[in-house]
Formats: sequence, C-alpha cells, structure tokens
Amino acid sequence: MPLENHEKARFLLHRSLVEGISPEDRHWLGAHVGQCAECGRYADLSARAVRALNWFALELDPAAALRVENVVRSRAEGMRSAEAHAKSLWIGTAVAIFLTFTGSAVTWRPLAWLASQWNLPSPVWQIGFAALWLLPSLLLALLPLFRRRLLGEDSDSHGQTV
Amino acid sequence: MVAVVTAFSSVAEPESQRIAGALRRRDSEFIGRMVSQYHYRLLRYLVYWTSRREQAEDLVQETWLRVLERAGQYNGRLRFEPWLFSIARNLAIDHLRKQQTATARHRMCREDEAGLNLPAPDFESPFFAAARSEDAKRIAAALGALEPIYREALLLRFQEELSLAEIAQVAGAPIATVSSRIQRGLSMLQAALGGGADAA
Repeated sequence: MPLENHEKARFLLHRSLVEGISPEDRHWLGAHVGQCAECGRYADLSARAVRALNWFALELDPAAALRVENVVRSRAEGMRSAEAHAKSLWIGTAVAIFLTFTGSAVTWRPLAWLASQWNLPSPVWQIGFAALWLLPSLLLALLPLFRRRLLGEDSDSHGQTV
Repeated sequence: MVAVVTAFSSVAEPESQRIAGALRRRDSEFIGRMVSQYHYRLLRYLVYWTSRREQAEDLVQETWLRVLERAGQYNGRLRFEPWLFSIARNLAIDHLRKQQTATARHRMCREDEAGLNLPAPDFESPFFAAARSEDAKRIAAALGALEPIYREALLLRFQEELSLAEIAQVAGAPIATVSSRIQRGLSMLQAALGGGADAA
C-alpha cells in the first residue's frame, strides 16, 4: 500500500475529529482503515484518547459552589441597587436643573420690574440675580451628584466587599 | 392573545439573549442559577489552565465578578460559553503571569502567552484525581505535561464541544492555529495511550 495513503488516512483521521470531513473522505477513510491494521490501530488510539478525555470527572464541593453563587448574587444585587440609585440621582438632578431655569424665567420679569422701581442699573440686579439666585440653585441641584466625592467617600460601590 | 404572544416570545427568545438581558438587569436570581449551572464547566476549564484546583476555585469566583462588571459588553448575539471562557482565560493568564514564585517552569508558551510561568507538571494533579479509568490515568499524565494552550484546545473541542470558530474566539487565535493545537494535543495523548498499550 503506498505510503501516501497512510499519511492521507492519518490526516483525515485528525481532521474528522477536529473539524469534520466530507462523506467521500469518510467513505475512503473507512475503507482504508478496514484494510490497514496500522491505520486501524491509529484510529482506535484517536478514539480512545477522545473518550478518555470525557472520563475525567472533577469532584465538586457543593459548599464552595454555593459560596461562589452567594457572592455573585450579592454583588449583582449591590450593583443593581447602586445603578438604581445613580439613575434616580441623575433624574433628580435633571429635574432640579429644569426647575432652576424654569423658576429663573418666571421670576425674571417681576425682578426686572422691582429693579426699575428702585432705579437699579440692569447690570447690578442681573449680576445679583445670577449670584444670589441662579448660581446657588444650580449648585444645590448638582450637589447630590458630587456629594460622595466632596465627603471623600468611595464612589465605586461595586468595589465593596460582599 | 397578548399573553399567548408574550409566552411564545419568551419561549422563542434564544438562551444567549435571555442571559444578556439578565446580566444587564443584574437579575440576581437568574445570575445565581447561571453560576450554579456553569460552575462545573468553568471549574474544569480553569483546572485545565492552572493545573491547580484551589487556584481554579478562586478564579471561578473572579470570573463571575468580571462577568458582572463587563455585562454591557455581552449582547447575546453569540453563544454565552465562548464569552465566559474568554473572560476566565484572561484571568487565568493574568494569574499565571503574577505567579512568579512557581517552583518550575514549563517551556515558554508561544504567541500571546509568551513569557508565562507555568506550574510544573503535577502528577498528584486534579487530572489524576479526576481520572476514572486506566486510559484516563495515562491521559492524565500526558495532560499534566502538556502546555495549557493545548489542554485548553482539547477541552474546548472535545468536552465543551465548541466549534473551531468559537475556540478561536476564546483563545484569540486564528482558526488554523486552534486546529493545529488540537491536532498536536491529540497526538500527544495518542502517544501516551500507545505507550501504555505497548507497555501493557
């Protein structure tokens, strides 16, 4: 039997295990392995190697598995509540900023009228409005977002030990 | 009618999509079930990488915590297992890289694992402990001597039954490289079995 037939058989054997072969190649391989004792033994070894891999069975420690499950569940819950908190914080901030500007627009005309009654120059009352009304309102609206950083707390609640 | 449609859509939704959704929602019940469901397979994969049961147990937990952190990266279009194993793989490689006090050194891994200090072959290893037959014991010795990249390729192909493309995704290597890793690993196992048969 030509040497290249044995090489082809081994190549096809490997290939059939790793990625599959065409029906024609499978037919040729079956016929060759049926005739050639050496390639038959090689095919048997290949099949045994793959079967032996499947005979490995690690013993599981149920306590360890449960411990991992609890840690992961707990972390997931922590992340979910942290994300929900962050989401409500952003929504609250957005609402506060919206109300700040809406309130400013509403109070603008009465303040302009008062300033004209008291003969205050426009730049004076407008700077006063910005410094005493708009800026404090914006700072108060943004304060919750930066509270943790300002208080020196760890903002990454995901990193907490669970 | 709406209930029927809703029920049908929840049945028809692929498993990977449900996993992606649960990860994004941080659904602790679903995630807990997943941890339990994949525990054995993940542990086995990490044992194949590290050759050490205790390290593998630690890495299982780290893997799931990393999965939670990176939940947004998994969109459910592909199967979950390759994504899970690729995270576990990266952690295992990082872990082995840090393990500078290893008592012995295997041959240097090629490609992306270059410079990795690998644990010495350990014939009291988890492979031996897990071997359930004479063939498996011979294979255990051969596995202990194999580099992790070959063990990984064999595990993913023949035990996890991933496709070559999925293994390539996990390993971050071309399909041809993965294929040759499997063939080489298989050849070494055949040699181990052949030697045993001859000896017997």
